[in-house]
Amino acid sequence: MAVSTILSITGTGAGIPFTGEFRPLGLFESKFYERPRKPYGSSCMNGHHFAHHKCIWRIPSNRNLNSKSKDSSLVLAIGKENVSKDTDDMYDELFNKYGKVVFRRKDQKPQIAVELANVASQVKAADIKVLFVKPLVYWTRFFIITTAFSRPQIDAIGSKIRDLAEKKYGRVPSGDTKPNSWTLLDFGDVVVHIFLPQQRAFYNLEEFYANATPIELPFENQPPFRG
Amino acid sequence: MHVEVTTPTQQQQRTFIQMRTVLKVVDNSGAKKVMCIQALKGKKGARLGDTIVASVKEAHPNGKVKKGKVVYGVVVRAAMQRGRCDGSEVKFDDNAVVLVDKQGQPIGTRVFGPVPHELRKKKHVKILTLAEHIA
Repeated sequence: MAVSTILSITGTGAGIPFTGEFRPLGLFESKFYERPRKPYGSSCMNGHHFAHHKCIWRIPSNRNLNSKSKDSSLVLAIGKENVSKDTDDMYDELFNKYGKVVFRRKDQKPQIAVELANVASQVKAADIKVLFVKPLVYWTRFFIITTAFSRPQIDAIGSKIRDLAEKKYGRVPSGDTKPNSWTLLDFGDVVVHIFLPQQRAFYNLEEFYANATPIELPFENQPPFRG
Repeated sequence: MHVEVTTPTQQQQRTFIQMRTVLKVVDNSGAKKVMCIQALKGKKGARLGDTIVASVKEAHPNGKVKKGKVVYGVVVRAAMQRGRCDGSEVKFDDNAVVLVDKQGQPIGTRVFGPVPHELRKKKHVKILTLAEHIA
């Protein structure tokens, strides 16, 4: 296989290994070559393979892209003649070399997530689960999934979590303001889901994120159903 | 479609999602195609990340929504390009929508295909959590 040079338009220099999640975008175009449209077999983040017929086009700007936002980095394969088949192999190579997502070991310390889960348990929320989803989902680090039994309780959990996050960490959530049967609070790297029991069974997020490593909580979990 | 990076006059300019636009449904709520009857925000039409009112035109036989029902939807893929804050633009090959109820809760439980993370800014994080792939 021909050697491919991989150029990253993040402007950070060649010394840094390729960081950020490498999402196979399907066919994307660049200024240097045009590719005919073809059905493209790519693998999604969970390691499944799905045939992706649609093209997603990203038209990068000439300016220096911010290297911090992982999604704005664009990878070009230069020096390859037959691009469409080899790019598959290139992706696989990269996956094997760097892993699906590169993250630092100390990201694993879930202090804020455990704190928020603590608060939830004080309000008698049931079946609290904290999942470390960074390997699967690049846009957040932790999910906290919890069940509440009534709308006022959802409200109470929500406001307690908001207060603690604001006081201690200075973070304001962007989420629902009115309590809903599925209330979501988005703190950037931590996302809190508060369900009613039937919604939790309906959406079944644990099954969807079954590959995420759960984080142990220092208190006992309440049993999911009471009464 | 063989697209080149050239000046806009040589490429097909896609535009907004407006009344009578048929969109694909990409969740498992039961509907297959909906037709937009109103774009809730925007004078010219809806874009990526906006909510629309739509009427179900085609549905699976045993789904949660039936043909003819009026539903709300969030546009998750649009053929019209949308600018991002870093200067790049995203556009997809089709127009796709995820059905939600009036409060914004998704009716289906899974979302298929890629979704952009413009949805996060628009407070549709629920759809992001149900999505299988994020562009």
